[in-house]
Parts: sequence; structure tokens; C-alpha cells
Amino acid sequence: MKKRYTRNIGTISEEEQQLLAAKSVCVVGCGGLGGGIIEGLVRIGVGRLTVIDGDVFDETNLNRQVLSNQDNLGHAKAVEAKLQMRAINDSVQVDSIQALLDSDNAADFIRGHDAVVDALDNVEARLALETACSEEKIPLIHGAIGGWHGQVGVVMPGMGLLHEIYGEEEPDAEEGEKPTNPPFTPAVVSGLQVAETVKVLLGREETLAGRLLTIDLLNQEYEIIEF
Amino acid sequence: MKITLAMRGTMKKKYGDEERILELPEGSTCHDALMSQGIDYRDNKTLGFVSVNKMRVDIHTELHDGDYLKAFSKVYGG
Repeated sequence: MKKRYTRNIGTISEEEQQLLAAKSVCVVGCGGLGGGIIEGLVRIGVGRLTVIDGDVFDETNLNRQVLSNQDNLGHAKAVEAKLQMRAINDSVQVDSIQALLDSDNAADFIRGHDAVVDALDNVEARLALETACSEEKIPLIHGAIGGWHGQVGVVMPGMGLLHEIYGEEEPDAEEGEKPTNPPFTPAVVSGLQVAETVKVLLGREETLAGRLLTIDLLNQEYEIIEF
Repeated sequence: MKITLAMRGTMKKKYGDEERILELPEGSTCHDALMSQGIDYRDNKTLGFVSVNKMRVDIHTELHDGDYLKAFSKVYGG
């Protein structure tokens, strides 16, 4: 086992470390959530990642998106993710796709992966992703943020959790929680998504499958809702 | 019957963050409980889902004495 993984052992076994190296994960979104998720999965030693985003970094991303910096504004997020992860752990294969996920391309993007992580920022793409994951029979690790609030859940194929949470309607911009995103909320939620992804990949039983962890960082209230 | 109603997420901002004890007729639903407080969730797209006793339920689910109803806003940023 490589020395770089020494501090993983105990939390996971050496056999599980080897198992992670044989796994592949598709992370959809390389922004506030995606940056933390991708870095976490690369550092723990997942074997292969596909990272997807059709956007470029802009100045408003600098307060929270860990892959953004003052020198890469205007650069493609997915390409930056691949470049930066190579410097952290070049034994992980990172493939980047510079595109926006929709119902036409979702299944093609995620096919063949062991898990998919939702780091998207809109309802329509999330519903398309959940449908594709269900059709391809791939577990989906959901996360979302807004202001002081966040949520994390694990959707096993056929569950339809996101369709229950969101319905079919896109929230109004002024009604929803999208406009403000401080740095601490994606940090918390992305870390939880990495933990859930690792458990799903390792076949651990203690996941949030069929449940939604709701997070209120203002009042420090955490609650698991059964679905 | 008496039930408890609370808001979560931006529902708190919009409708108040205090926990409310409601006296409702037998057979009342989650929808009835919200409407009794002037919370017409159909006017906007803020409401994501409701839970009763930490279980996600349909908005038209019948409530029972002692139930704890929570209304969660949609959280969708990334």
C-alpha cells in the first residue's frame, strides 16, 4: 500500500483501500460542492473519476469554490478539476467532460461508473440525473446547498427521492435558496457526500440510502427524514 | 386533536420560525394544517416536501393527535 494512504487505514481497512482503487465515480458539477467532492475522492484514493461541468470560473465563485482561484477565472471548471487533481494524486485517473448534463446525455455520461455524485445547481438537471441513474442502476449520492441550509441523501436505483423532494417545478429564483452561498455550507455538504460515496463504494450498510439528512447551520439543527 | 407545526429552511423566513401548536378537527391533513395558518404553499414554489414524525409524507396525508409536522423548503444550489 502506498504511504500516502497510511492515515486512511483504520477508518477503512487495507482491503477496502485496494477496493477503492478499483472503483469509478462520476461527479456531475465542479463548482461549490463538486470541488470539495472531487478533491476528497482523489485524496482518499478512488481509482477513476469522471468530472462533468459546462461552465467556466468567474469572480463570484472565489468565495466558496475550492477549485477556483484568481489566476483561473474564465477557465473551464471540468478541465481545471482534472489539472489540479493530477498535482494532488496522479495515480487517480481523472477524465473531464466539458458539457451541461441534460436528459439527452445523462445516461451516456454516467454509464459504467460504480457511483454518481450530484453536485449540480438546478432541479431540472438533478431530475434527469436521477432518472438516468435509476435506468443505469447506479447509486446516486445527492447533495444541495442554499445559504445556511443543506441536504444529503443516497438514492439507490428505483427510489426516486429527488422527484419526491423537488416535484417537477423549478423554484423561483427569489423564492428558493440559491442566491446566497457562503463557503462553509458547501464545505460541510461536500464532505458528507464524500463519506456517503465511500460507504456506497465499499458496500457498507450505514449509508443514508432512502433517507435525507437536512442541515441548518444557522441553528445547528441536523435531522434525518425517512423517505 | 393537537399537532405541532414547524418550518424549515427558507420556509422559516417566509412564514416564521416559531413552533406552533395547532388545534385541528379530526381528519385534518397536512394541507389543512398549513392552510389554517395562512400558509398557501400553492402560491409559490418554496415548499419542497413535508414530514410527519420525521417521515416524508404526501401533503394530503391525514394527521393524528400528537403529530409533529414540518414543512421543508427546496434547497437546490450546488
